[in-house]
Amino acid sequence: MMTTTNPASIAERDLRLRRVRAAMAADGLDALLAFAPAWRRENVRYFTDAPAGGTATFALITTTGDVTAFSTRAADLHGIKRRGWAGDVQELDARAPRALTGRLADMRPGRLGIAHYELLPRFFDDAIVAALPAAEIVSATRLMDDIRLVKSDWEIDRMRRVDAAVGAGWQAFVDVLEPGLPEYAIVAAVEEAIKAHGAEDNFMLIASGKDEVRGMTAPSPRVLEAGDMVRTELTPQLDGYWLQICRSATVGQASDAQKRSFDLFNDAVNAGVAAVRPGVTAHDVAKAQNDVFRARGYGEYCTSNYTRVRGHGHGLHLDETPIIEGNETVLPENAVFIIHPNTYTPIAGYHVLGDPVRVTPDGAEILISTERKLFEGVI
Amino acid sequence: MKRGLVKLDPAEIPDAEREDRVARLQRQLKDAGIDVALIYGDVSRSDDIAYLTNLCIYWNEGILAVPAAGDPAFLTKLSPRVFGWMRQVSTVADIHSGRKFGDLAAKYLDGDTSATVGLIDAELWPASVAGEIRQALAGHDVRDTGDLARQARLAPSGPELALLRQAGGLLAGALGRTTADGAAADGLTPNARIAAVERGLRGQGFLDVFARAGDAPDGVTSLEVTGQYRALWVHASRLTDTGAAAWPAVLERALAAAIGAARPGATAAALAEAAGPALGELPAGATARVRWTHQADMATGGEYASYPPGLSITSGAAVVITVDATFPDGRHAQVADTVAVTADGAESLTEPDLEAAR
Repeated sequence: MMTTTNPASIAERDLRLRRVRAAMAADGLDALLAFAPAWRRENVRYFTDAPAGGTATFALITTTGDVTAFSTRAADLHGIKRRGWAGDVQELDARAPRALTGRLADMRPGRLGIAHYELLPRFFDDAIVAALPAAEIVSATRLMDDIRLVKSDWEIDRMRRVDAAVGAGWQAFVDVLEPGLPEYAIVAAVEEAIKAHGAEDNFMLIASGKDEVRGMTAPSPRVLEAGDMVRTELTPQLDGYWLQICRSATVGQASDAQKRSFDLFNDAVNAGVAAVRPGVTAHDVAKAQNDVFRARGYGEYCTSNYTRVRGHGHGLHLDETPIIEGNETVLPENAVFIIHPNTYTPIAGYHVLGDPVRVTPDGAEILISTERKLFEGVI
Repeated sequence: MKRGLVKLDPAEIPDAEREDRVARLQRQLKDAGIDVALIYGDVSRSDDIAYLTNLCIYWNEGILAVPAAGDPAFLTKLSPRVFGWMRQVSTVADIHSGRKFGDLAAKYLDGDTSATVGLIDAELWPASVAGEIRQALAGHDVRDTGDLARQARLAPSGPELALLRQAGGLLAGALGRTTADGAAADGLTPNARIAAVERGLRGQGFLDVFARAGDAPDGVTSLEVTGQYRALWVHASRLTDTGAAAWPAVLERALAAAIGAARPGATAAALAEAAGPALGELPAGATARVRWTHQADMATGGEYASYPPGLSITSGAAVVITVDATFPDGRHAQVADTVAVTADGAESLTEPDLEAAR
């Protein structure tokens, strides 16, 4: 990981603070407190550029000066300090968070925005309200979502680097497939591969079977059989950034139905990619994919009875704005999201296929190098 | 992230024990005048729900509704497409999905405004979710109902202890293969050590693994692993690449002493006192902290639970004993094991050869 002595890193930190402070000014915020529960750390990471394991971490941003970071885990402190994006780093006792509330009380912001306010446990909320009895406290979740939607060049470079872990994970997935293997052993092989590439975390769903499969879940003890199609979305996180690949592979040679299913989904992915340009909406990208299904008589499988989501944003969180019909979020240049028309059809059951893309000035850049095909495992 | 094996196996936890867990909570609810308890969980912290139903919230959030009589129901934002899987791996049959928990809770209560509703561990709920529930259940008596489910989890049952021993043995094996002196572990990078631990544990059915390879002074690596096996947690930390540094052995002696003092009635201060003579040999400027944490609290590393200084270990508890050292340059190292505490002392679950190690 680069350090703050790197001019590019310093420039990135300063760019983020300028963008956030401009948004804070527009919203009339005197201070912004980013809260990160263990499963939503993206906003604190945005300000610290350092991993954390604490059950709760916070970053406090004021209109001037350094960011202050807090973690409930002592082991986090050195890494955050060493990274250098936060000027002050404090250990936080969750049950007596005076390190945080004391700082807030000293600042006396008139209007405080809290990112992920919707997830803030009541004991923190009570302590903050008690420290700031006169303050107006509002959610800053949307503010941060909007800020993070458009990636800087520095972020795009980081996201491109995740491709190595994505490729290694998918290769491990394909290599391990054989009849008799339980689903959870596939996950173990993938984890080994991506962690060896430095991945910090991974989000992964899986399903195996034939045309009866309706969706993906956490892995089960089910053992693979010849002729199965094994579907996954795997999403390594490296240096903070998540990047997803969606693929399906067969145990042994693919059937004609599995091949026809792949062709349908591949055409839908291609239609989604072709729709990408600056200013397109999430709705537009979803509709382009769904229209392929509709044109071939499979429109029913794009409804809420099956799966409607046709992808989602990526970045410091793996599941940012949904690519779904009805979501009019504009996707500007340097927005990053995965296009995945994953759903069930009666052709070969649930099919999983998709690539993450960046919105470029004239279209889409696919951010992974793994071939988009129906992989056939050798047995 | 919870991407490992989710399994409901009556051979591991008998059906009668699972039924008794719910029945016990229901008796407590009746005694407290609560008609329905609501238990919140998210992908990082849902052990109360898993304890009562074996449900795994592998993504997003969910609420388990436990009536004082009758079967629990699960309220989720996840798609009905995964209900079949949820029913397959849990004891819950009644599952409702929707966009808002408030609407789901109101629909679940079906307009019965006379029902008294208890929010289990209310202060840990996201304030906004609790507020949404209270607003949707206006007219109901909605009460904070303490940590009833967590309290039940603090003393593992016989079958749970058997699973903890199994998990501890697997963790000890995985750590041993990646940290022990010898050709297999020599020269491994931190990433390679974590990769090997992941393969070893997830390949044996761990649901979740959190492995950290910390950069400690003198080239030492502090390998800290927390793993979830079924609905139970084990944690162990080892120091590797120790070279000629003297302080790793000091920390290991301190941990052994703390574990030796882990008996019913022991407080964190008693463990620290036992570890004190060894810790006195740490390099100048280094500080140390000795703690114990219920395995039942390891989803949060104990950080969301209340451990006042006088709190003591109870007989029958399974706890994690940790010795953390912070060095003058801010770097950190940890040694830790998970132990089962009885009147006879501590049985190490993650270092089966503890006596030999001493």
